[in-house]
Amino acid sequence: MPVIELSMSGLPKSGRVVGIDLGTTNSLVAFMGEKGPEVVRDESGNALVPSIVYFDDNEDRLLVGEEARDRLITEPRKAIYSVKRFMGKGSADVQEDLSAVPFQIAPDSEQVIGFQMGDRVFTPPEISAFILRDLKRRASKFFGEEVTQAVITVPAYFNDAQRQATKDAGHLAGLEVLRIVNEPTAASLAYGIDHRDEAIVAVYDLGGGTFDISILKLKDGIFEVLATNGDTHLGGDDIDNRLITLIIEELEQGPFKGAAREPVIFQAIRKLAIRAKHELSASDHASLEIYSPGQPGGEYNREITRNEFAALISDIVERTLGPCKQALKDAGLNPEQIDEVVMVGGSTRIPLVRNKVRDLFKREPHVELNPDEVVALGAAIQADVLGGGRRDLLLLDVTPLSLGIETMGGVVAKIINRNSTIPASASEMFTTWVDNQTGIDVHVLQGEREMVADCRSLAKFTLKGIPPQPAGLPRIEVRFLIDANGILTVSARDHRTGQEQSIEVKPSYGLTDEQIEKMLLDSFEFAEEDLRKRQLVEARNEAETVIRAAERALAEHATRLIDKNEREAIARALGELRLALTGEDYVLVREKVKALDDASHHLAEIIMDGAVLAALKDRKASEVAEG
Amino acid sequence: MSEAVVNKAQVSSTSCSYCGAVLSGGHFCGTCDRIQPVASSADYFAFIGLPRKLRLDEAELEKSFYALSRQFHPDYFMSASEAERRASMERSSMLNDAYRTLRDRVARAEYLLSLEGYKAAEKKAPPDLLEEVFELNMQIEELKAAKKMADEDEIAEAAASLEDALAGLRAKLVEIDERLFAQFEQWDSVFENKSASGEKKIVLDRMSALLSHRSYIRNLVRDITEVL
Repeated sequence: MPVIELSMSGLPKSGRVVGIDLGTTNSLVAFMGEKGPEVVRDESGNALVPSIVYFDDNEDRLLVGEEARDRLITEPRKAIYSVKRFMGKGSADVQEDLSAVPFQIAPDSEQVIGFQMGDRVFTPPEISAFILRDLKRRASKFFGEEVTQAVITVPAYFNDAQRQATKDAGHLAGLEVLRIVNEPTAASLAYGIDHRDEAIVAVYDLGGGTFDISILKLKDGIFEVLATNGDTHLGGDDIDNRLITLIIEELEQGPFKGAAREPVIFQAIRKLAIRAKHELSASDHASLEIYSPGQPGGEYNREITRNEFAALISDIVERTLGPCKQALKDAGLNPEQIDEVVMVGGSTRIPLVRNKVRDLFKREPHVELNPDEVVALGAAIQADVLGGGRRDLLLLDVTPLSLGIETMGGVVAKIINRNSTIPASASEMFTTWVDNQTGIDVHVLQGEREMVADCRSLAKFTLKGIPPQPAGLPRIEVRFLIDANGILTVSARDHRTGQEQSIEVKPSYGLTDEQIEKMLLDSFEFAEEDLRKRQLVEARNEAETVIRAAERALAEHATRLIDKNEREAIARALGELRLALTGEDYVLVREKVKALDDASHHLAEIIMDGAVLAALKDRKASEVAEG
Repeated sequence: MSEAVVNKAQVSSTSCSYCGAVLSGGHFCGTCDRIQPVASSADYFAFIGLPRKLRLDEAELEKSFYALSRQFHPDYFMSASEAERRASMERSSMLNDAYRTLRDRVARAEYLLSLEGYKAAEKKAPPDLLEEVFELNMQIEELKAAKKMADEDEIAEAAASLEDALAGLRAKLVEIDERLFAQFEQWDSVFENKSASGEKKIVLDRMSALLSHRSYIRNLVRDITEVL
């Protein structure tokens, strides 16, 4: 082994595109390996990063994943979890969610929620960006090169604002988001890649916070989504909440009266509930125990059976069946026509869920895929397609919600129906109502209901700069395009002149470009800090390798191959590097690594030459033997 | 498929926006093989490479849809130039819109009518149903009134007669669809024989009338289902 190791001077950029499952409870990253999609694991073999972010205002300290989860119990006010439920929403949308979590909401949260953490406010895309950055770092470390491009999955039933918020989060994390892919569709890719027969597949995806059902036709490598439905407000969190409520109610009657809603106790209860839920998937009973040594009689102990649990959550599970039936109807299929049912998401481990799905589709659902990993694996396959790796697969996804515009009397006119294959487009002609009107307001909505008030407002546009003309004469054609991410773009053209028409967009929910720019600057602060730590770790690792190699070379060869001056120079460089390692200045460490490299360069060359000579000699001998 | 060749000329503009070569009318430039933007005059039939006929093989249509999807989809243009990415998006979305319209028989007929210069069918009551429709609207109002008063007997009576009417209307819809689809054959032969425009118009007028009756009855069915 030569003394000099190639130093890792900043990671080279990789052309690799990774797949990321940004989940309510856990997130993970996967890539396309030699033999198929693989998840990225850390040193201890864990692929899942808990979607939890901890921020300490005083120390400007940011933790993500396991470490943040540990703090959730001890410092619940400084940690945010289940942030996915808040993506693309305003404060009015999430009153119910807020009552179930101990987060503090900042003022001005009407269009984008802001979480107050000490003096700072973080929006859901920023919190998600911290998680994404952690995954990015994991992947970059794994590959030894910087990963900059990703496919990120979202629930199929996510609306435009929620998709855009996810894309913004990727951008804030320094990722180019090549595609937003629907989770059940990604799962079907991971499932269908080995099942190439023509089939109609239903993917039932019950995750931590959301539920999706997608029905696909798999044929010749085409994955065509026929229909999708779901509920972005239905998942494992709701199941946890049932258990939490049960425990709190019982505690309130006993020694913990008034204390159960204290954040610290609440988090302990939540942890207990989640553990019991997990146990009840494997065993027919679980025990719920809370013990508080300081309090006289501070004990809570009860057993819960699987049947009791099933009764507690059966209406939640029942709520998934309506969307399933609607999706079947939209696809024009009976349950009997579904060839395979694939289960995705951690909540599908619950026996009651499996039973209900089996009853509805009248067949045994596939549970052999790891429900926590399959979405990320599918995302990695799609990432491979987008990266140009393969052309045999093609996803044809749909838009989950109808797109409409406001017309007279607050009625919504649908222009693109739900379950239309994307990209999908529609054109509408607009004109003026009064003479010399120079602007036209357009209100775009998403949803299935008839009235504006019952649909989700996406954006308001003003068609500006229309030349003054008699009413009804201008003809402005507005083109609505839902791209392959399920995200809307709008363009307008004056039909008479053929000129592009200017549009001023006011998204109803979500961040403006200016806000994102500002956040990019803000996150740079953290990035600097993170980068510094990472650089130090890397420089130290590198230093240790170089030190080991130099010590060995000195011990084994030095007296024989080089003179005293050179030996001393190497020893001095070694000493200086060791000294640098006691501090935290990675630039200094790097410098001293280079100095040691330089000092031992000559020795390394001699050793290398020797090794080459020895190798040549061996080869000659063997050639002679063969000849 | 000579019609398809003739129609193809409308699918793209006349010269390649990249290499300037004269285009033969396909989706891609024959010389440099780059994807071309969609001309505004393109129609769904021509785009998919079909003659403007109403009877079509749905399995064949799906096959064309998949094959063209593989050629146009934005997934395969991630590293192409901005203009090619836009063209891929335009062609994919047009393909999806075309497939959605053409695979549904009613939507296909409506689309053909719009291509032939007919306006979107106004909802018109079929003449033989005029009296019944009048009666039905009365019954709908009666049921609404009964519900307001919470008069159980009235509700049951009005609902029962509306249920009957509903069954009749659904049967009528089936009949209209049969008559409409029978016209498809007429249209195709008129189209193939390049018949005089008068003959074309007769077929188109019939379909237009059937479609407007159809959408009227469907509305009525929806209104009744809502009050029930």
